[in-house]
Amino acid sequence: MINSNIAEIRLGTASCGIASGAGAVLEKMQAMEPDFKITEVGCVGCCYAEPLAEVITKDGQSIFYGNLTADEKCLANIFNLSEAGRFSEPEQRSSKMLPRVLKLAGRIDPISLEAYRKAGGYHALGKAQEMAPEAIVNAVKESGLRGRGGGGFSTGMKWSFLAAKNSPEKIIICNADEGDPGAFMDRSLMESVPHQVLEGMLIAAAATGATKLFIYCRAEYPMAIRNLKIAIAQINENKLNVIKGRTIEIIIKEGAGAFVCGEETALIASLEGKRGTPRFRPPFPTDSGYHQLPTMINNVETFGNIPLIIDEGAAAYASIGTENSKGTKIFALAGDLKYPGLAEVPMGITLREIVFDIGGADPENVKAVQTGGPSGGCIPVELFDTPIDYDSLRSLGAIMGSGGLIVIGKNRCMVETARYFLDFTRRESCGKCTFCRVGTTRMFETLERITKGEGKPEDIDFLETLGNQVRKGSLCGLGQTAPNPVLATLRYFKNEYLDHVEKRTCTALECNALVKVKLDQSKCVKCKLCIKSCPVGAISSDFVIDADKCTRCNSCIELCPKKAISRYPNE
Amino acid sequence: MSNSAENNTFEFILDGKTVQAKAGETVLEVARREGITIPSLCFNGKVSHTTSCFVCVVKDCKTGKFLPSCAARPAPGQAIDASSDEVKSMRKTALELLLSEHSGDCEAPCTMACPAHAAVEEYVRAGREGDWLKALKIIKERIPLPMSIGRVCPRFCEKECRKNLYGKAVSINDFKRLAADLYYREYVEELPEDTGKKVAIVGAGPAGLSAAYYLRLNGVKVKLFDQMPQAGGMIRYGIPEYRLPKNDILDVELDHFRKLGVEFEFNAKLGENLDLDKLSAEYDAVGIAVGCWNSSTIRCNGEELATPGIDFLRDNILSGCKLANPGKTIVIGGGNTAMDCVRTAVRLGAEDVSCFYRRTENEMPAEKIEIHEAKEEGVKFEFLIAPTNLRRENGKLILTCQRMVLGEPDASGRRRPVPQPGSEFDTVADTVIAAVGQNTVMPDGIKVNKYGYAEVTAGGKVEGKIFSAGDCVSGAATVVEAVAGGRIMALGMVAMFEGKELTEPYTINVSRGSWRSMSTDDVVKIHDQVSDAERAALPLISLQERKSTFKEVAGTMDPATLQAEGKRCIECSCTDKLDCRLKKSAELCGACVDSICGRKNAKRIDIRHPQIVQDTGKCIKCGICVKTCKELIGKTLLSAQNRGFQTTVSTAFNAGLPTSCAECGACIDACPTGALDWKDKNRRKK
Amino acid sequence: MEQIKACLAAIAPEPGNLIRGLQAIQTGEGYVSDEAIKAASDYFKVPVAEVEGVLSFYAQFKRVKPGRFTIAVCDGTACHIKGSPLIMEWLSDALKIRPGETDAQGNFSIEKVSCLGCCSLAPVMAVNGTVYGKLDRKKVVSILKEYQNK
Repeated sequence: MINSNIAEIRLGTASCGIASGAGAVLEKMQAMEPDFKITEVGCVGCCYAEPLAEVITKDGQSIFYGNLTADEKCLANIFNLSEAGRFSEPEQRSSKMLPRVLKLAGRIDPISLEAYRKAGGYHALGKAQEMAPEAIVNAVKESGLRGRGGGGFSTGMKWSFLAAKNSPEKIIICNADEGDPGAFMDRSLMESVPHQVLEGMLIAAAATGATKLFIYCRAEYPMAIRNLKIAIAQINENKLNVIKGRTIEIIIKEGAGAFVCGEETALIASLEGKRGTPRFRPPFPTDSGYHQLPTMINNVETFGNIPLIIDEGAAAYASIGTENSKGTKIFALAGDLKYPGLAEVPMGITLREIVFDIGGADPENVKAVQTGGPSGGCIPVELFDTPIDYDSLRSLGAIMGSGGLIVIGKNRCMVETARYFLDFTRRESCGKCTFCRVGTTRMFETLERITKGEGKPEDIDFLETLGNQVRKGSLCGLGQTAPNPVLATLRYFKNEYLDHVEKRTCTALECNALVKVKLDQSKCVKCKLCIKSCPVGAISSDFVIDADKCTRCNSCIELCPKKAISRYPNE
Repeated sequence: MSNSAENNTFEFILDGKTVQAKAGETVLEVARREGITIPSLCFNGKVSHTTSCFVCVVKDCKTGKFLPSCAARPAPGQAIDASSDEVKSMRKTALELLLSEHSGDCEAPCTMACPAHAAVEEYVRAGREGDWLKALKIIKERIPLPMSIGRVCPRFCEKECRKNLYGKAVSINDFKRLAADLYYREYVEELPEDTGKKVAIVGAGPAGLSAAYYLRLNGVKVKLFDQMPQAGGMIRYGIPEYRLPKNDILDVELDHFRKLGVEFEFNAKLGENLDLDKLSAEYDAVGIAVGCWNSSTIRCNGEELATPGIDFLRDNILSGCKLANPGKTIVIGGGNTAMDCVRTAVRLGAEDVSCFYRRTENEMPAEKIEIHEAKEEGVKFEFLIAPTNLRRENGKLILTCQRMVLGEPDASGRRRPVPQPGSEFDTVADTVIAAVGQNTVMPDGIKVNKYGYAEVTAGGKVEGKIFSAGDCVSGAATVVEAVAGGRIMALGMVAMFEGKELTEPYTINVSRGSWRSMSTDDVVKIHDQVSDAERAALPLISLQERKSTFKEVAGTMDPATLQAEGKRCIECSCTDKLDCRLKKSAELCGACVDSICGRKNAKRIDIRHPQIVQDTGKCIKCGICVKTCKELIGKTLLSAQNRGFQTTVSTAFNAGLPTSCAECGACIDACPTGALDWKDKNRRKK
Repeated sequence: MEQIKACLAAIAPEPGNLIRGLQAIQTGEGYVSDEAIKAASDYFKVPVAEVEGVLSFYAQFKRVKPGRFTIAVCDGTACHIKGSPLIMEWLSDALKIRPGETDAQGNFSIEKVSCLGCCSLAPVMAVNGTVYGKLDRKKVVSILKEYQNK
C-alpha cells in the first residue's frame, strides 16, 4: 500500500549508493511494490546517509529517507510516508552549500534525456546555436571560469586559442580521468547528469568549431561510462550533435589506469593508443595535439559549468565567487569528518565553513586538511579562516586541484600522510624525467625510513632540497607537484618530522614501528575477544601482548568492548 | 633589439650576454656555439628530443622555470641562465639521482685497489692475448718498476679480485713480472724533447726512481742522489735477495733508468755532503724521497740491545748475503720486515728462529704468503706476547715477555692487546731483532707534520721548489705506494714548470661493491668463456734450497700458463668506461656517486647476443635507443616497458636482439652509457 | 586465438585503438596473454615490443590469469587513512597471497587500486566490480566467506 500523497520515489543508485547497498534496497522496494516505478537517480552528495531515497509528494514536498537497508520494515517507512526514518540535512550544512552545477544531481534520472530537458537541459545549447562563436567564447571569458581540473587556467582563453585555429578538423577532449585519490566530483557529475557535461562539450564545439569530441574517462568508472554512452546515443538520435550544420562525433575512450594521463600531452598520447608519457611543450595541444590536430582539453566539472554560463549570462555567473575565482566549486569531502560527500560551495568560502559546518568535523580533533590530493598540500587548522580560491590555496603551499578535500584528524601522522602521497606519485610517475622518476622514489624511501624510526636529522634538509628540485626539474604537473605534500607538511608540521628523527616517536601514534600496543589489565574483563582476533597470536592467555609478535594491526583495539587496549609510544 | 627578418635571426640573453639565435635553434645549440658547456645525456641531435635526463637544464630568468635546453627554443629578448650555481646544482642533482639508480663498475675493482691505479684488466687482457709488450707498456703507464714490483708487491689488486668468490684471485702480479722479464732488456721508451728543466731528487728508492721516470717522460732532466753506494733504496737494502735478486733483476731494472738518461750520485747525504740550499739553487725543483730507515724501538728496558730489523737486512745485503750466523734468533714484530728478518736468519744458518707477536696470527700485518713460507722454512711463531725487558747475561740475551689478551678494537680496527699482569717469562737468545716498524729521519729544512713526515699539498709539494714523496711522506708503506707517490710528485713538478698547480682530475667510480659482500649471482660476466680453472701455481724452488741459500724463491710463470690464467679474468669493468657520458657529465658537474642512495632496480644483463650486451642496470631510461631504432633504422626492436622507477627498455617478449643487430649498432652508438654496448672491449662506440 | 580475435572484431584496426583493443581482450579473457599480444600486434599493426610497452604502462592490464574473484582494495586517500592497509593485510593473511597474486586454487586475486571513487564510504573494496564500503574486519571476513562458498 502506497501513501496516496506520493508522486515519485527517487533512489540514489550512483556508485556510492550501490556501494552502500542501494542495489538490494531497490530490489526489495520493487518486490514490495511491483507496480510502482522507482526512479533511479544519481547522487545528491549526502554520501554519509546512503542508501538514500527521496520522496516527492503530490504537493511538491521533498522528503528524504536515509541509511536504508533492504529490510521490509525500514522500506515500508518510505511507502507509508511515515515520520520514522526520515532524514534531513543539518541546517548549518545545507545553508553553506550552493548547488548550481550539481543542481540536478540526484534529482533526475541520469539516463533520461526527457527528464534533463524538462529540468531545463539543452536550453543553453539551443541558445549557443543561435550565438556567434566569438560571442560564446567571450561569454565564457567574461564569466571568469577557470579550469576546474587543477590548473586554474582561464577556460575562455583556452577556447579562444582553439577557435583561432584555422583547421578543417579540431578536437575537444573532456578529461574525465579523475585519478586524484579522494576526489569523486567528476564521477558523480557524469553518473548523475551526464547530459549536462555533454551539453557543455557541445557548446564548446559550437564556440570553437571543433569537429570531434572525446571523453577520456577512467575505466574504474563503469557507471559513468555506461550513463555517458546512453546519453550520447540519445544525443545522436535526437541530432543534438548537429552544431551549426556540422555533425559532431562524440567518442568515449576508457583510460587504462595512469594518473599521469591527467596531464594534457600524456592524455593525448594515451588517446592515440600509446604510452601516456607527457612531452615537452611547445608545441601546445592547441597547435598540435591529437594526431597533430588542434586540440583543447577541459575537465568534466569545467564543462558542467558551461550550460549555466550560457543560460544565465556571464555577468550573473560572475556575481558569485571571489575577484579572480568565479562561480562555485565542488569539493569531495572525505577523511576524519562526520558528513563525507560532495559539497558545492561558492568560491571564497572559508575552509572552516567547509570542514566544520558542511563536513561536521569535530573541531577538537582536526589537525589539517589536504587539498588537491597527492599534488596538493596540507593546510593546518590555524589557517582555516582563509577564504579559498585558486590563488589563496597556492599561497599556502597547497592547490585547488580537482577539489578533493581530505580532513586529517589529530590521530594522523603528517609524516605518514606525506609518505602515503609520495608512494602514490612515485608509483604513478611515468618514468621519463630523472627528477620525478628517481627523485620521488628517493623522497619516498627517505620518508619511509623516517616513519620506521630510522630517519637521520639530515633527512629533513635532504627532503626539502630534493623536493624543491623535483618541483623545478620535472616536465609535467605530476612531477612539479609531487613534492607538495612533503614540502607543505615540512612547512607546517616540521615538529612531527623532528619527533620521528630525533626522539623516535610518533605523537599521533600512527607509525607502527614507533608504537606499542598494550592492554590495561584494570579495564580488561577477560572476554578473550582480543586473543581470538589476533592474527598472529601475540596475546597470551593471561592477556599480555608480545611486542615482538604484534603487528600493530589494530584488530584487538577495534574489538575490545572495554577499550582496554590502546597504542602507546615506544618507551 | 635588432631582429632581422631576412636572415631569421634574433637576439636573446644567455648568461647575461646578448647572443644571436636562428629561428628554430635550441638553447643548447646556441650555448654550445657560444662556448658555454652544457652537459646532455638524452639528446644527441640525431633523433627527436626526449627531454628525460634533465641534465641540460637552464633557467628562464623571468619565470624562474627550468627548461631542458635540448628542446627549449629561446624567444626574442628572453633571458636564460645556463651557468649559475642554482642551475649547476640542478644538473648535479639530476646526475646524482641517475647515479643512485645506476649499477655497474666504471673501473674494475683490481684497478681501483691498486695504489698506483695501474690498468689491471687491460694488461691482463693484453697478456692473455699474447701481446706482452703491449701489457708492459700499459703497466709502465703507472708502474715504472715492474720487475721489482712484479716480485715484491703485496698484490692489493688480487685481494679485491672478484675471482676470490670462486676460489682464488687471478694471479695478476705475475703478469707484470712476465711482461717485464720478457721485454725489459730491449724495450726503451721514446723520450720527448728536453724542456731544459732539471730536477734533483734525494733518495734513489722506489719513490725517487718513479719520479725520475715520469720526469724523463716529460722531458725533464733528473739527477738522483743517494746516501748508499747503489740505487734502489729499500728494494735493494730492505728486501732480501731471495725475494728480489739484486744482480740479475734489480740491476737490470735500474739499468733502464740509465738508458733513459737518469743520472745518479751515490754516497751523498743531505746535511753531510749534500746541501739543500745548493740543490735548490742549482735545480728547478728538488724532490725529497729519503724513505723510512729508522727502526722503531721495542720500548722496554734494554731495547738498545736489540738489532734494528732494517739494519739487519741492510747489513746482510752489504755483506753479499754473508752475514754471520745469528744463532738462536728472536724477531719481534708481525709485519713484512719481521718476516724478511726471520727468513733471512734461517738462510744465514740459524737453526732456532722465532717470531714473537703481541696479537694473534689474524692480526699480523704481514702477507699471508710470507707467514706461510716462513713456517715452511721452520720459523716458530709465538703469539700474544710482548717484550718487557732485554738484558745480556753471560754473552746471551735474556728477553722477558709478558702474555697478552685481545681487548677492544683500536683505531686501526685491530683488537688491542692487553697485558696480563704476572704472566712474565724469560727466553734466552743469541740475537733479538726489533722489527716493529720504521719511521723517517727528515733532513733539516723540510716542513714536517706532527708525526715527523714531510707535509705535502697537491702534487707532492712541500713549499717553493721542494717536493716530497714516498715513505718519508706516508710513513713506511709498500713499493707500489711509493711508486704512485713518486709519479704524483713528478707530475706536480711538471705542473709547476708549466706555471700550473697539479689538480687531480675529479673522477667518479660506480661500483657493484666488494666481492666480500657479493654472491656469484651478483657477478656479471659479459663473456661466457671465463675459465673456471684453478689459479695457476707459483713455481717455487725446493725447501732445502730455500733454507740454505738466498736464491729467489719464486719463479716467473711461462707465457702459456699466464695466457690460460688470463682467461680466468671476469673483466669486471664497464665496457663503456672510456666513452660513458654519464660518467663524463658527472665528473664535469662534480656529482658524487653516493650522495643520494636508495634502492636500485634488479639488474638484468642480457648477453645472449654474440656481440652485444644489454645491461638494464646501467640504463638511464633516456629512450634514445628506442628512438634511434625507430626513427633512424625504421625498426622497433626495442621499447620502453613499465613505468616510473621500474621503467626499463626491452625487446619483444624479452627475446633479445636479433643477430643481425651486430651489423647496425646504431642504438649502441647512441646509448650514453654502457647499457647497450659491444661485448668486445676493444671496440669503441662511434 | 579465435576468442581473442572475436574480442577485437568490433574495433577498427588502427594503431590508435590499441588500448581499446587490449581492454576488450582483457574484458573477454580476464588478462592479456602473450598470444593476445601477438594478435593485437597483428591486428592494430603495432610492433610487439610497443604493445608490451603500452600494456606494462597502464595499471589496468593484467598479464597473468586472475582468480575467479578479483578483490580490489582501494588505497585512495580516504580509504588509506581509514585503514585500507589493514584490510589488505587481513585479506593477505586469510588468502595467503600478496597483492598482485592469485591463490593456488585460482579462486581469488587481490590487488591494490588507487581510488574507486567511493571515498565517502571508506574503506572500500570491490569484488569483481561489486563495491563494499565501510569495511571492518568482521565485514571483510564475512564477504570473503560469501565468495568462498560461491
